[in-house]
Amino acid sequence: MKRQIPLIIIMTLGFMFVAHSFIPHKVSVDFFDWFQDWSKAISPFAVSLGIMSLFMVHGTKIKRKVPNWQYSVITLAGLIFTALAGFIWGTQSGTPYMWLFENVQMPMSATMFALLAFYIASAAYKAFRARSAEATVLLIAAVIVMLGQVPLGAMISKWIPEASTWILNVPNLAAKRAIMIGVGLGITATSLKILLGIERTYLGGGD
Amino acid sequence: MKLNYAKAGIVLFLMVFGFLLIPTPSHAAVDTSSYIVENLRADDIPDDDGSGLVLSWKPLPKEKRIIEYRIYRGVTADSLFYHGKVDVNVKTGVAGDEMYYYDSGYNRFVDIQSPRKLKKEKQQPDGSPIFRRLPKDLKITGPQLTNYKILGVIPEKDFLYKNTKVEITEDDETKVYAGLKLRHFHYLLKKLKADKEYYYTVIAVTESRKYMPYAEPVIGIPINNSPEKIRQLYSVYVEDKNRLQFEWIRSLFTADQTNHSLYLVNKDNLDKFNNYVEEKHKAEMDPEFETSLENPAQLIYQRYCGYPWTPDNTVAIDIINGKIINEKRDINVEIGNIEDYFAVFSLQDRAGYETFSSLSTFDIVNSSALPKISDWTVEDRKNDKGDYNAIYWEKPTVFLTNCTYLNDDKTKILVNYDIYKNVKYDKIKNVYFIVSNEEGKEITTINEFYQDSKLKITLEKPSNKISFEMRVVANGDTGEDQIFTQDLIFNPDVKSLQPGVLYLNGEEVNKYSYSVYRRNYSNEEWRLSKNTMGAQRGIVDNISYSSTTFKGVSKFDAEKGLFFVTPTFQVRMDDENENPVMTNLYAEEAAKSLDEYREEIENYTASKDTLVTEADIANADDAIEFYQTQIDLIENNPILQKAATFTNNKARLKFLEKVKTIGSRSYEYKMVKTDGKAHFAFSEIYTTEEIAKLPFNESIRETYLTLGKDHFYPIPNWFQADKLPALIATLVFGFMVFFMIRQAKSGKELYIRPIAGIDEIDNAIGRATEMGKPILFVPGLSGITDVATLAGLSILGRVAKKAAEYDTKILVPVRDYIVLPIAQEVVKEAHYEAGRPDSHDKNSVFFITTAQFAFVAGVNGVMIREKTATNFYMGMFWAEALIMTETGSTTGAIQIAGTDAVTQIPFFITTCDYTLIGEELYAASAYLAREPLQLGTLKAVDYTKFIILAFVVIGTLLSTVHATFLINAFPEK
Repeated sequence: MKRQIPLIIIMTLGFMFVAHSFIPHKVSVDFFDWFQDWSKAISPFAVSLGIMSLFMVHGTKIKRKVPNWQYSVITLAGLIFTALAGFIWGTQSGTPYMWLFENVQMPMSATMFALLAFYIASAAYKAFRARSAEATVLLIAAVIVMLGQVPLGAMISKWIPEASTWILNVPNLAAKRAIMIGVGLGITATSLKILLGIERTYLGGGD
Repeated sequence: MKLNYAKAGIVLFLMVFGFLLIPTPSHAAVDTSSYIVENLRADDIPDDDGSGLVLSWKPLPKEKRIIEYRIYRGVTADSLFYHGKVDVNVKTGVAGDEMYYYDSGYNRFVDIQSPRKLKKEKQQPDGSPIFRRLPKDLKITGPQLTNYKILGVIPEKDFLYKNTKVEITEDDETKVYAGLKLRHFHYLLKKLKADKEYYYTVIAVTESRKYMPYAEPVIGIPINNSPEKIRQLYSVYVEDKNRLQFEWIRSLFTADQTNHSLYLVNKDNLDKFNNYVEEKHKAEMDPEFETSLENPAQLIYQRYCGYPWTPDNTVAIDIINGKIINEKRDINVEIGNIEDYFAVFSLQDRAGYETFSSLSTFDIVNSSALPKISDWTVEDRKNDKGDYNAIYWEKPTVFLTNCTYLNDDKTKILVNYDIYKNVKYDKIKNVYFIVSNEEGKEITTINEFYQDSKLKITLEKPSNKISFEMRVVANGDTGEDQIFTQDLIFNPDVKSLQPGVLYLNGEEVNKYSYSVYRRNYSNEEWRLSKNTMGAQRGIVDNISYSSTTFKGVSKFDAEKGLFFVTPTFQVRMDDENENPVMTNLYAEEAAKSLDEYREEIENYTASKDTLVTEADIANADDAIEFYQTQIDLIENNPILQKAATFTNNKARLKFLEKVKTIGSRSYEYKMVKTDGKAHFAFSEIYTTEEIAKLPFNESIRETYLTLGKDHFYPIPNWFQADKLPALIATLVFGFMVFFMIRQAKSGKELYIRPIAGIDEIDNAIGRATEMGKPILFVPGLSGITDVATLAGLSILGRVAKKAAEYDTKILVPVRDYIVLPIAQEVVKEAHYEAGRPDSHDKNSVFFITTAQFAFVAGVNGVMIREKTATNFYMGMFWAEALIMTETGSTTGAIQIAGTDAVTQIPFFITTCDYTLIGEELYAASAYLAREPLQLGTLKAVDYTKFIILAFVVIGTLLSTVHATFLINAFPEK
């Protein structure tokens, strides 16, 4: 029963939603909207699960004094203080909560994001090393596309921007669409497997 | 850095309290009196209905770091409630010497989100008169009802079925109300009352949310003004039709308008008319001033203004036998030579004010100078939920939109074009372009059999003018009778060729615009549906399902928590569109009203004997006529007759609700084609005869038919026909899945092409086992509704089972808290299935954060601290992908990624050892399972891909030879 009931719910609702995409009738649309509202109601409960998980993981680390357990103290202190700041002083501009958001979280997120520039440079170096014929083609294409995006490209030759556009619009787009068709079919197949109960791993366990 | 207790304590302290140590201007000692706003004033808003005041004050300087100004309002100076706020950019401050806040129209009074109790405003001294928002507590909010005009916005079903009948006796008269709880209102709105005193104050709030002292309250009195003057009236006399045509620019403020009127002013009476207008103006300024003059202008047209809808702004009046006659409005005017008249338009409001437009002289034309309206059609739009009608006319339009040079010589140009289609002509087969140069020499002929909105044209030499002749072939029509012409003309300002005026068969297309008006059973006035430019060939008219009742609220019961509204409601207009069909929520009250009306007639009839003045007698006659009309309606109207037969009031209300729905969602249409200056043509009223399609039961249908009307009622559809190809494809795919599963089950060997990334999963797990290090598995960053996440979780199940079998630790950081319990269950079950429940650590699947880059930081920390030997990234990833995989790469872990995010695939390929590209992610679970059911599905996907590929190749070949039927067989996105 532990498996059957969720499977029955999934199959019933799954087929109803498949039918919904072909039925524009108000009855179908209203049911879909009503269901969406209910699914939104699940989120707050799931947040508490996330917070509990965070407490359990870091609480265990602190309790067992595992190496670097102090970081866990900071994590939990940050969590508690930010939540309290929001509950006590509100979340409007100028409150401690917003101060933390604007002066702690945003700069730290921006820092992580900024690292991406260096990682891209490193990844580009790895990708564009002309070790094989394919890698050489990739390198040439990349150089053309990059030059095509800046004024220098047009200054070198008027064909570079056009070649750049052609690379992006023809071979690149063709490959992208091929992947997208595959992805679309993959999604359909996975959805079908879930609807028919062939794929049940997400319920826990393999079969 | 290795932390010890002392260091951890310092870091913790700095983190928690650090921001308090950072000096900001807000923390410095301040003189709060310098933060009180100055020059606060409350002035009347002109041209309104007496419900508007404008507050103004001098903003505080930028250095004060003000983040918002909060406005408080009340009817006494000692109790002012929060009303609204004006946000300010702290960095830039306010430019200018004055700030304004408009308190006008209906705005929030109280709703379900209001606070429970009344609270003093924050940081205010004892005795401060300012409070926070009005609460839900009726003991406090209820008495405020008399200080404002209150409008309750009530969901129709709540009004009809969730009310409580309440009887109130006042002055020996018992009145029945419908009581509604606050939760039954969408919201209650309030509006200022004219001539009433309102007190206002404003406080400044600093960046650190310090609420500064309030300014001395000021008084404002909203005054009911006369309507605003319309900007322009255009008048045309169509000589051969003997018809007057008028068109005007609509006014902006319409809330309290009642009538639109048109007058003719004889040129001989011009001075008299000007004196009359001047006298009216004086009377408006000074209520004591007594008027003596009569309006010398002749009223030739009058109608209700149509509020709250956008009304028709055109009128055509036929002169018949030298007269304009309108019995309903009691108009009978003899017209002489039209050149002897000026036309004037007036707006009247509820207070009796009237504002006249400037005088307009007639432009005398013949009907040949007016535009022509072609055949047009209204029909229920297909494939929708019954909330749109489609209105269309004429054949598709093609026109040029832009032009760019493709070379420095300006001999190659890219011309963009667009097509306006409609419901009838929705499949464009060809668009022909004949291009000529300045000398009229044909440059090229282009047949756009596939319309990509682009033309590439090579010129012999640069040109300042290129002419296009265009023709559209659609739905079997050759379009030979519709030749569009348009030039590209060099514009020296932008140094490029620009599209000129579009002509159709020599006539300028955009000279006229189309206005489509609609009218239902609930209002006699036409309302604007849409206004479109002349090139458009159709519109869709939204007929929404929303049903809301608007009711004035002035009484309440604080004990029971009820607001009272009148229980009467309008079902629709009667068949002649003259009288509203009214009834009551309560059947017994509806029945009583008949007796009450008869009693009123008797009373008025009896009172006539005692009345002296003619005006009083006329008023009594009007009242008698009104009540008699109501009696006739109740006794003869088929809807009310039918409603009276119900014994159960709920069934009665359900019937009335449905009839009301029909009334409000059924429309007839008319179209006006105009140049905006009264040179217009108007269509006949467009109705339908297909009334039997109404989706209601027989009794309602019968009632509807008895009303003999033929409006359009959009019908909801049960199948979206344009998705038929998608349905067929889904069914074919489903059939193939079943077929391949049967094949696999029957023992047939299915060849599955090897995928290196999947083959290496076992080796990667083995590597971690050998090294005695954990495995990291990231199931993507998106939520559970993303199929990629589900695919990732399926792979997680297989990987976790293998890891459990090898007794290797697996770490699963999760970003989405709904994914968390599912991932935990997957890993737990995997351990049980592997027969190793003892090795399952419930904390191995853990939540980090929903913040994208904070999550990455967390995952990277895990990689570095735990020294994971194998990293799996399976699911949906965004910009964080590269940061994670590069870190994994530097720790020396073997990395296998799988995603359907096209933009992240290159990064995974570069930094991971193996990557599952796109659909391989979805196939991975089946590969790992190696079961017939799973493999059958996989094989079906491969065959379906082959079919799609075949369609792509065949479609490309056919399109190359101008055969577009295959492309057209598929719906556009």
